[in-house]
Amino acid sequence: MRYRHFKKRNKRRTKSSLKTPQLIGVASFFILSLTFFGTSLLAQNDRPVGDAYVSGGIGDARVLIPFLADDSASGSICGLVFNGLTKTDKDLNVVGDLAKKWQVSKGGKVITFELHKGVMWHDGEPLTAEDVKFTYDALMDPKNNCPYTASYSDIEEIEVLGSHKIRFVYKEPYAPALLKLGMGIIPRHILEGENLRKSAFKRKPVGSGPYIFEKWKTDEYIILKSNPDYFEHRPYVDRYVARVIPDQAVQYLELITGGIDTMGLTPYQYRYRTDTARFKEKFDRYNYLSHGYTYIGYNLADPLFADRRVREALSYAVDKKEIIEGVLFGLGEVCTGPFLKGSPYYSVDAAGYDYDPEKAKELLKEAGWSDTDGDGVIDKDGNPFKFKLITNQGNKVREDVATLVQRQWSQLGIEVEIQIIAWASFIDQFVDKKNFQALILGWSLPTDPDCYNVWHSEASKKGGLNFISYKNREVDGLIEEGRREFDTKKRAKTYKRIHEIIAGEAPYTFLFFPYATPAVSKRFHGIEPAPAGIGHNFIDWYVTPDERRYTW
Amino acid sequence: MLKEALNDKQVVLGSALILFMFCVAILAPIIATHDPCETNLSPEVKLQPPSREHLFGTDDLGRDLYSRMVYGARISLTVGLVAVAIMLLIGVVIGAIAGYFGGVVDTVIMRIVEAILCFPSIFLILMILAFLGPSIINVMVVIGLTSWPGVCRLVRAEFLSLRERDYVVAARALGASHRRIIFRHILPNALAPVFVSATLSVGSAILTESALSFLGLGVQIPTPSWGNILTTGRFYIESAWWMTLIPGLAILITVLSYNLVGEGLRAVLDPRLKR
Repeated sequence: MRYRHFKKRNKRRTKSSLKTPQLIGVASFFILSLTFFGTSLLAQNDRPVGDAYVSGGIGDARVLIPFLADDSASGSICGLVFNGLTKTDKDLNVVGDLAKKWQVSKGGKVITFELHKGVMWHDGEPLTAEDVKFTYDALMDPKNNCPYTASYSDIEEIEVLGSHKIRFVYKEPYAPALLKLGMGIIPRHILEGENLRKSAFKRKPVGSGPYIFEKWKTDEYIILKSNPDYFEHRPYVDRYVARVIPDQAVQYLELITGGIDTMGLTPYQYRYRTDTARFKEKFDRYNYLSHGYTYIGYNLADPLFADRRVREALSYAVDKKEIIEGVLFGLGEVCTGPFLKGSPYYSVDAAGYDYDPEKAKELLKEAGWSDTDGDGVIDKDGNPFKFKLITNQGNKVREDVATLVQRQWSQLGIEVEIQIIAWASFIDQFVDKKNFQALILGWSLPTDPDCYNVWHSEASKKGGLNFISYKNREVDGLIEEGRREFDTKKRAKTYKRIHEIIAGEAPYTFLFFPYATPAVSKRFHGIEPAPAGIGHNFIDWYVTPDERRYTW
Repeated sequence: MLKEALNDKQVVLGSALILFMFCVAILAPIIATHDPCETNLSPEVKLQPPSREHLFGTDDLGRDLYSRMVYGARISLTVGLVAVAIMLLIGVVIGAIAGYFGGVVDTVIMRIVEAILCFPSIFLILMILAFLGPSIINVMVVIGLTSWPGVCRLVRAEFLSLRERDYVVAARALGASHRRIIFRHILPNALAPVFVSATLSVGSAILTESALSFLGLGVQIPTPSWGNILTTGRFYIESAWWMTLIPGLAILITVLSYNLVGEGLRAVLDPRLKR
C-alpha cells in the first residue's frame, strides 16, 4: 500500500516538474531553474533533502544499460540508476543489494537468492525475480554483444523459484560469482523483445536505483533525480548532474567558480594549486590509491610487436619513476601487472622493467633491429621501426606520458608519432575496432582478480576487452582455474602466477597506479573515505538548508 | 606602386615584422638554444620563469620555451603560406573561369560558392578534420579548401569587368585562346585585390591553425606550435604566466603584421582611398 501511495504522489510530481524549464543555460555556468519541490522534505534520521551534486567529467556516457556500459562515465550513471543482486560495501566486501540474503550450496555450484520485497521500478512496476532472469539471459544473448559475458558463461541455469526467489546453477564452481552477480538488473516489462543495442532505453533508462533518470543532453549533461521511494531510503541530495567538460583546466575553473561541485584534480592541481587555505575553505580534498592502472598497450596482431624482446625493450626504455615524479608529482605508484597493488594477488616477484636503456638496446639488437642505413631510425629487413601511439584527448597526464615515452623510445632509434583523439571516436573507431598500433589507456580494477575479460584469449574476439589480442594458453588455463578456486590462498597463488607470466611477456608496459585525488565542495556532508573511495555512501550525503545552492 | 607602398608606415612596419618572423623560422636550428623537445622533469628545471639560461622560461615538462617558440614559428608561417597558396590556386582558377565565361558556368559556380559560404568555416574545418584526423598537412589543406570562396568572388568580379575591355576584345579578335586571354591578359590586371586579400588571409590562416592546435586538432604533440604551447600553458596560467603570454603575443604580433601589410596595400592600391 505504502508504495502505491508514494507512486501516485511521485507521478504527480513528475508531471508538474515537466512543465517547468529544467535547465536554462549551460554556456559557461549552470543556472538551475527556481521552482520549489520537496525543499523542506525531511527524510529518515532528519537529514534534509535538497540541492544538487554537479560533477564534471571528461567523457560523456555512451550507453546506460549496465551490462553494455564499458566506460567509466556510463558505469557511474548506471550505478546510481540500477541495482544488482549484490554490491560491494565501503571495505569492498560483497553484501546484498536487491538480494536480502542468499545461500550457497553444492560446493559453490548453486546460489539461491531471496530478493527484497517491495522494490519498485521507477515507473512503478514491482521488481521481481523474472527481471533478474531476464537481465542475465539478455546479457548472455550473443545478439547483444556484451563485453562481460565471460564472467557468466559458466551459468548453466537460472531458475525463478518464486516472485522474489531465484536460483543460479553453475556448471563449475565460480569463485567471483557473488561479486559478478552485482550487475545492474534491467526491467523485463519494458525491454522484452527489444533489441537492446538499438533500443531507446539505452539513452532513457528506467531502473530501480536511488536515482531516477531525468534528462540527457549529449555531450553536455545527464540529470538524475533522487528516488523518493528508494527501498533503502530516499537519497538526500535531490539531483545528480553529470556534466561533460572535456578538459581538466576548464573543469578546474568551473570548480572554483562554483559551476561544478566535484572533479578529479590533476596531480599538479592537487600539489600546487589547491593546497591553499582559500581552496580548503570551500572544498575537501581526498587522496587514495585508485583502483586502476595506466598502461601502454601494444597491438599484438601487428607484426611490429610480435617479438617479445621488442616489447621488453620498449618497456625497459620507459622510465616509470620519472613519469611518476615528473608528471604525477609523486602521486602514483609503479605498476608491474594487472592486479591491485597491495592485494594478495599482486606478485612482488613479477618482472618490473626498471629503467634500463642499455638493456633495451641489447634486446632490440638481439631481435634483429639495427640502424643499417644510418638515418637514425633502426630497421629490420628494410622496414624502419615506426609506429603510431594514440591516446584520448583531455587527459593531460596521458598526453605528457606520450611525449615522454616518445622521447625515451627515440633514443633507441624508434620513431613514434603521437595522435590525440577525442574520447568517443578513440573508443569507437580505434580501440573497439582494434585499429591501432600502440595506445595509452587505463583500466579500473574490480575487487575480484578474475581477469578473463581482459586477458583470456576468448576475450580477444569482437566486442571483448582484450583488444591487444593477447593469447597465452597457460594464462587461459590459470584464469579458468582461478575462477573455480574458492580458497583465497590458492587463488592468490594462481593470480600471482598470471601476473608473473603476463609481466614476463610485456604485452603492456604497465606504468603506474595513480592516486585518485577528488575535490568535493564542502557543502556536502556525510562523506566517509574508505578503501572503496568516497562514492560508496553517496545516498547518505546531504546539504544543510543554509548551504543549498540549487532548488527545485 | 612598390615605392608608394614603401612610403606607407603600416606596410613598412608590418613587412619588417613579417621579415623578422621569417628569419626566426628559417634560422630556428641556429638561434634555438635548446632542443625544443628535450624534456627534463627535475623540479629545478620545469616550470621555471624566464632566466638567462631559458629566455622565455620552461614548460611543465622542462622544455625550453624560447626554443619551442622559435620552432613553432616554422609551423605557423608554413601553415599560413601553404594554406593561402592552396586557397589562391583554387580560388583564382575557379573565379577566373566563372568571371570569364559567365552565363550558366558562372551561375553554377557562384551557387556552389554561396553554398560553401553558408557554413561558418571553423565548423566546416572541424568537421573535415574529425574525419581526416589531426595532422599538420591536413590542417593546411583544410584551411586552404575552406577559404577559397572569398578569393573566388573577388577574382570573378574583376574578370567580369576586365573581359569587356578593349585589349581583351583585341586579343580575342586576334584569335588568342581562352587560356591565353585568361592567364596572359586578364589575370595580371586582376591580381592587385587578390594580393591584398591573400596577405590578409595569411593572418587568418595562422589564427585558424593556432585555434585548431589549441583544440588538439592541429599539430600533434610534441611538435611545438604556438597554438599547442598555448594549450598547455592554460593549465598553469596562474602560476606560469610565460607559458600563455608568450605564445599569445607571438600569434597576436604575427597576425597583426600581416593585417598591417594587407590594409596598407589596400590603401595604396585602391584609388578611392588615395590621399
